[in-house]
Amino acid sequence: MNALDRALLVAARELAAERRRPDGFVAALTFTALLVLMESLAFGPGQARQPGVASALYWIAILFAATLVATRSFDRELEDDAIDAVLVLDGGREALYAGKVIAIAIVLAIVALAAAVLSLVLLDLGVALAGHLVLVGVLGILALPPVIVLVTLLALRVRARVALVPILSFPILMPQLVACTQGAAAALTGDASAALGWAGILAAFALVYGVLGLTIVPAAIE
Amino acid sequence: MRRVPENASLNDVTVVLDDRAILRGISLGLGPGLTLLRGPNGAGKTTLLRALAGLAPLARGRRSVSGGPPLYIGHRPMLLSGLTARENLAFLAAFRGLGAGDVAGALRAWGLAGEMDRPIERLSAGQRRRASLARIETEQMPLVLLDEPFADLDSDALVRLRAAINTALVRGQAVLMATHMHHELDQDATHRYVLDDGALREV
Amino acid sequence: MIETTAAPFPTIRVRPWLGRLAVATSLIATFMALVWAPTDAVQGDVYRIIYVHVPLAWLAYLAFFVVFLASLGWLLTRRPWFDALAIASAEVGVLFTGMFIVAGSIWAKPTWGVWWTWDPRLVTTAVMFMMYVGYLLLRSLSTDFSRRATRAAVIGVIAVIDIPIVHLSVLWMNSLHQLPTVLRAGGSPSLDAAMGTTLGISVIAFTLVYFAFLAERISIELDRQRRTLEARA
Repeated sequence: MNALDRALLVAARELAAERRRPDGFVAALTFTALLVLMESLAFGPGQARQPGVASALYWIAILFAATLVATRSFDRELEDDAIDAVLVLDGGREALYAGKVIAIAIVLAIVALAAAVLSLVLLDLGVALAGHLVLVGVLGILALPPVIVLVTLLALRVRARVALVPILSFPILMPQLVACTQGAAAALTGDASAALGWAGILAAFALVYGVLGLTIVPAAIE
Repeated sequence: MRRVPENASLNDVTVVLDDRAILRGISLGLGPGLTLLRGPNGAGKTTLLRALAGLAPLARGRRSVSGGPPLYIGHRPMLLSGLTARENLAFLAAFRGLGAGDVAGALRAWGLAGEMDRPIERLSAGQRRRASLARIETEQMPLVLLDEPFADLDSDALVRLRAAINTALVRGQAVLMATHMHHELDQDATHRYVLDDGALREV
Repeated sequence: MIETTAAPFPTIRVRPWLGRLAVATSLIATFMALVWAPTDAVQGDVYRIIYVHVPLAWLAYLAFFVVFLASLGWLLTRRPWFDALAIASAEVGVLFTGMFIVAGSIWAKPTWGVWWTWDPRLVTTAVMFMMYVGYLLLRSLSTDFSRRATRAAVIGVIAVIDIPIVHLSVLWMNSLHQLPTVLRAGGSPSLDAAMGTTLGISVIAFTLVYFAFLAERISIELDRQRRTLEARA
């Protein structure tokens, strides 16, 4: 069994548990919908319809949703010390990290899709470049979990973990947030080259932080 | 000091948790056979097992385990809620590269024929305990670490546990069991240690 | 196979004279900055804040780079001394970065007409400040020495890798959205020789203050570690 198989095994385990008891998914979905609704109202629908504003509101909601899914996933791991059974195993730390990143990205993708439909419908947004928007969306979803899972692992048995995860991960994720927001806005307004540029940057972020996470995780969990 | 081939050893190990030394300069070699670890609550039995499992950071000293990562069953079941007992055990066996073929058989032997496909959080504490102990059969590793395995078990399960441990011993596995209970298994033990306030002595 | 050995704690002998030297240099720098250096032709006396601002900027980045090196040191060797260095530099760094942001703000108001602009350097500094506040928070919430050191070290490494990326991302964003011209208007005053010398001495003075603080804080941390060790024994 090689490293990729082990990571996929952890991802499958996570998704099976999440499917049977979708705590993280339901919480993230509800929270995201609520946030999109509230932010749009707070701005006033006229303002919130502007592509820059709409995509910023959307991605901030997704960012919170990502921390929610990750926190919930590790809550379940800690409930009965299930995580220890994985950490004992050879390659368990890397597999746990990579598997969680994969699984959380998948859960987040479904949440993001639902939230995107909600945003588009509620705000009656015009999409100039649908393909580019999907590309930015997919790469954005891939760029967030590598950092969030790593930070969640660091804050694993720390007091006030729920507050600590966003406080630590959001400053690190600032470039990702900028790229997601700018890329989505560019796709909405029809700026193809800008959208592709930001998509490329997001792909680089996903790769760089994924590799960084895998390198540092064995040393990070004790 | 024993000179038989060792499945695992700790050499002058100190473990510090929350700025307190839980273990101080512990040396311990484990060869095939049953080793019992006794000691009052808070003596560091769990930490010693976790140190052998590689789950406790060593402030000093050396740990070596041969033949793959040990099977460590803590005093909580360590099974993921949302998954069934069968899925949990199959995952852990597959991760070690072992076939998952006998998982159902092992769970049945532990009296969980009707419960193995229900999510773990719907089982009683005793049933969860049995499911986690069934790992002794599905993950046959050279080193087996059991932390208070008798908790929550009824008499049937106790018989089953004794049989599982005896089978493991016959296979030449090293079994280290932390317990403060006296049990029939005492007579099978090859070594007995008492851990008191972070220091180990053989009795 | 894991092998860990508690490292002996190096004692710092440079402390007394480092502190005195830092104070003396600071006094000289203060005199030069307020009296000796000439008034700027464009900005008037307001520009003199540069003698605080530039050294603080340098130290903010230096301090966090030291955190990065110390964090790597801990992760690779697990010597407690590295953790003492990391916490010392992080605390001093947060202090200097905070002062840097405030000083920059005070300077921006008369020269640019605003307290804050979304210039990449400013945004990067603010994000960096938040990262290290989070770093200190993580440390304060962790109870166990070795876990605290490891967790903090990971953040210490990632943060430094992230800082240039934050800077670039704001730069790219601004290249798409033209910023108000206020940014370009002020510019840096062109320094003459006396100003340059004063700035150099100020940087040296502040750097000495940083190292004096660092040495002091490291020794406090090492004392703390030693007390814990003795309490165990």
